[in-house]
Amino acid sequence: MRHAGHFVRLLALVAIAMVGFLFVRSQVIPKDFGVKGHYRLSAVAEEAAREPRHLGSEACAECHDDISAEWTAGKHTTPQCENCHGPGLMHVKKVSDDSTAGYSDKILTQYETAINRSTGMHECRWCHLKTFERPSTLKSIASVEKHVVQHKGTFTPETKCIDCHNPHTAAVK
Amino acid sequence: MHHYITEGYVLPNQAHIYWTSMIVLYPYITGIVAGAFIISSLHHVFDKDELKPVSRFAMVMAFAFLLFATLPLLNHLGHPERALNIMFTPNVTSAMAGFGFIYSAYLFILAVEIWLVYRTDIVHLYNETKYPALKPVYWLLALGVLDISEEAKALDHKVMVVLAAIGIPAACGLHGYVGFIFGAIKANPWWASPLMPVIFLLSAIVSGVAMVMICYIVIHWVRGRAIDGACVTALIETAWYFLIIDVALELLELINHAYMANEDWIILKELVTGKLFVSMFIIQILLGSVVPFLAMGAVVVFKERIPAAVRNVIGVACGLLLLAQVGAMRWNVVMGGQMFSKSLRGFLNFQIDIYGREGLIAAAVILSLPFVVIYVFSRLLPLWGSVETFPKEWMKDKPPVRQPLKGYTKFTS
Amino acid sequence: MHRLSQPAHGGSQVTSISQPDDVSRRRFLETVAKTGGQSFLFGSLFVNTALLRLPQAGHDAKSRAETEIGKGVIYGFVVDTTKCIGCGSCVRACRAENDVPDGYNRTWVEQYTFYPDGEVFVNSPSGGEDGFADPLPTRNVPSGAEQAPMRGFFVPKLCNHCIDTPCIQVCPVGASFKTDEGVVLVDHEHCVGCGYCVQACPFGSRFIDPRTHTAGKCTWCHHRVTKGLLPACVVSCPADARIFGNVSDPESTISRILATNRVQVLKSYLGTRPRTRYIGLDSEVI
Repeated sequence: MRHAGHFVRLLALVAIAMVGFLFVRSQVIPKDFGVKGHYRLSAVAEEAAREPRHLGSEACAECHDDISAEWTAGKHTTPQCENCHGPGLMHVKKVSDDSTAGYSDKILTQYETAINRSTGMHECRWCHLKTFERPSTLKSIASVEKHVVQHKGTFTPETKCIDCHNPHTAAVK
Repeated sequence: MHHYITEGYVLPNQAHIYWTSMIVLYPYITGIVAGAFIISSLHHVFDKDELKPVSRFAMVMAFAFLLFATLPLLNHLGHPERALNIMFTPNVTSAMAGFGFIYSAYLFILAVEIWLVYRTDIVHLYNETKYPALKPVYWLLALGVLDISEEAKALDHKVMVVLAAIGIPAACGLHGYVGFIFGAIKANPWWASPLMPVIFLLSAIVSGVAMVMICYIVIHWVRGRAIDGACVTALIETAWYFLIIDVALELLELINHAYMANEDWIILKELVTGKLFVSMFIIQILLGSVVPFLAMGAVVVFKERIPAAVRNVIGVACGLLLLAQVGAMRWNVVMGGQMFSKSLRGFLNFQIDIYGREGLIAAAVILSLPFVVIYVFSRLLPLWGSVETFPKEWMKDKPPVRQPLKGYTKFTS
Repeated sequence: MHRLSQPAHGGSQVTSISQPDDVSRRRFLETVAKTGGQSFLFGSLFVNTALLRLPQAGHDAKSRAETEIGKGVIYGFVVDTTKCIGCGSCVRACRAENDVPDGYNRTWVEQYTFYPDGEVFVNSPSGGEDGFADPLPTRNVPSGAEQAPMRGFFVPKLCNHCIDTPCIQVCPVGASFKTDEGVVLVDHEHCVGCGYCVQACPFGSRFIDPRTHTAGKCTWCHHRVTKGLLPACVVSCPADARIFGNVSDPESTISRILATNRVQVLKSYLGTRPRTRYIGLDSEVI
């Protein structure tokens, strides 16, 4: 068409832009995108490759067999070891082959503290301090002071549950 | 995302507000685009001659705002460097994925529209510009084709009309899909509504018309140029009509919620009468809708009995109120929808940042960038009229164009 | 009108020269363009919705109870709110296992307390991470007077891994997806951090991780489950309030629980068809 020279050039520019877009897309789009669905297939494997950090109480037993035996025989088996002591992965890594390189300091200190954290007081509160909504079948106390006094003990602000109770078996010492 | 003070019970992950000022700003900007484009189309497609003085400016304003429409979104994204994923791997069930394509298509349509409208001027300026340094710029803008024969102009005109006609549903799509992004979210009872795309679109038109109106009057005041009364009246009328339909639907939405009184109405009622009271009833409805309705309505009803100076003041003042109204509407939808929890039991208090990536200053900067573009454009091409209207400003001095004397027939040769 | 390109006739009152062919052709073009444009938009919207989003394709009434016996491994989750003691072990275990950022939760526990005057007090301090050790049996209720509560319970919540996920539906880039086993995951390399999925989730299960700027949520500990372990929250629960397993195996614990209990889901009216079921929900649990 005569007198349409400017449109021809415009359409040429558009065509170049579209081709350019498709080319860039072909280079940038992940190769395994859309294989199974509208997602990048390797994302599944990437997610699955993360390390489990809770190892389970059986793993603790491998080294701490005496405490584990005591725990299994006692009345406090509903919480697992890692409930109070935190996940064991970092601890195992550190003590077995010190393979804690590459993990951020934040995770390392987090787990170190967790492993050492069982204050023998704070963790017990989570389950055993009386809360109205809790099923009454669970043994709990309304206040530490009253409980200590009721059982003829001496209560101080530093009193801990583990002063009287074995944390692994719940038995009174 | 910050922790906001919560009242009542708010779901833990909802103690943060994820969509803030940038998501309020984005529909605001595309809204101005849609409204300005409608003004321009009213002239080009529907032959509303009164709007001729602003039609070129409206188109340029639409384009300038459209250029920056992506900026608030890019600023908000967690990974703006991956933003093109939206166009490389779009999820066809996601309204948001439509953004890249709808935006690109509309940007193209609008750019070609402006190009065709200004092509004659571009070629004239290439030949005779006062500033020879700009010649290469004009050559580029003309794509190196300097044909402005009658046949070329006629072809341009045909294409322009078709584009303007396609541009109207495209503008509706550009803004309607934003409303759909909110309206199709069943998880949020404040958003989920089939009226949402329509309300967004209508308020968009109101904001665009208002912005064109304000700019026309203020720029001509400042430059000391005559203001075309019929044009201002037409702008006010257009804004008024669209305001009526827009507010009717906004109120319908609210009344519908209240009347149906679903499970969510208890908390929504508290939201609307509490945290959103000022932004909704004072700014959006009273100051932003009722006052402009009355003031602009007076202009529509009493027409010539309103003196031109008063009409211009009404135009600017109501324009500003309408801009506030539409901004408040966007705010009430976007922020309001996040200021209550999906637990239907609690609220958050949202304090907007001043500084920060999504703060007020960032929003103000983004909103002012289109005006920079408009200014730069105005240095290259005339915003009002054409180079033939103001030849001395644009073109080298040369013998005046033959002006036929009154009473003589013009010969075309 | 700018159809006239020559300088205007001085003083002439001619405003437009009617040229019928030009006008009717233009009107025709306009109509075609407008109709065509609108038809295309609406048509594509309709086709999109019909073909790609109707979840009822192939869905018959009886499968509302969702038995997928024998269809390969499909995971499910049951939360037994009658057993939860509100200790918060699950929240702590999840946070440690998945590096959940502070202030956000992949799972959390809600506390519901009912008062005689009808008030319901719902609370989740830090998601229940430090338990609910508020020993006072009475609280100041909104009406101001102190009242002893009538009843209460805990409701643990997590991502429901819905069958008709609204989050996958709205993700613009395909970063949110479902594995063959029904686990809903996020591709952190592809996510742009727009936050649309966070808005679309009716349950508040999702958040934007402030460190990675991508969407985060409970993954049913996909990295543990694919190694034959249970999710961290399930392992750590001392009260057997969380059950996880393969719902397509009729002999699994979870299948037996689903077969013999009245189970509910959250916000069933929204039609997302969650795979996380609850035992013992109350109408006040939203």
